[in-house]
Amino acid sequence: MNGIHDLGGMHGFGPVVREENEPVFHAEWERRTFGVVNLAMGAMQIHVDEIRHAIERMPPAEYLESPYYEHWIYGLEALLRERGVITRDELARRVAELAKQEKK
Amino acid sequence: MPALPKDMVWTVVKTGMSARAEVKTPPRFKTGDRVVARNVNPAGHTRLPRYIRGKTGVVHRYHGSFAFADTRAHGQGDQPQHVYSVRFEARELWGDAASAHDALYIDLWDTYIEQAK
Repeated sequence: MNGIHDLGGMHGFGPVVREENEPVFHAEWERRTFGVVNLAMGAMQIHVDEIRHAIERMPPAEYLESPYYEHWIYGLEALLRERGVITRDELARRVAELAKQEKK
Repeated sequence: MPALPKDMVWTVVKTGMSARAEVKTPPRFKTGDRVVARNVNPAGHTRLPRYIRGKTGVVHRYHGSFAFADTRAHGQGDQPQHVYSVRFEARELWGDAASAHDALYIDLWDTYIEQAK
């Protein structure tokens, strides 16, 4: 698919910034995402190519503005919906619940 | 829903779940062959980047055969193919302003490439 992920040769993104002593994860949610996605891929027998393609189908503007592990979350959510594990509404409800808990 | 059996988990974690798979036919290309990346625009998953389509390169080495990402991404099975590392000169990809000393090596499945004329 000629998607936004296929960036080779494009201009305008600025230099590649290298981080000194870059940690494996920049935040706890990234560590959890890594675990949850790997677990789900094993449990649901999702090929790496399937989740890659799910990520490629992200809306292009969203893809460019979000960090790496958000792409993983998007990919997994898309596959969970497509395989009928969760619905868009169920996910939205749960996100709203968690947001409410966080405010308290 | 099929799941990874418990007794396979350690093997998968340890080996990183290799995509290596057997192909019965011999590889079509050998080191030194000039090949052209096909100009195709599949709507599904592919690992053939846009910037090499229609460009000519040279087979650098043969890697073996591997499950095909383009079919696996869509639940169409492994359908393994031979994979080659192909060298593309920077000038072939980006034009005369690119460095004459730079080149790109990219791993390509058999059906991504054709013999150059």
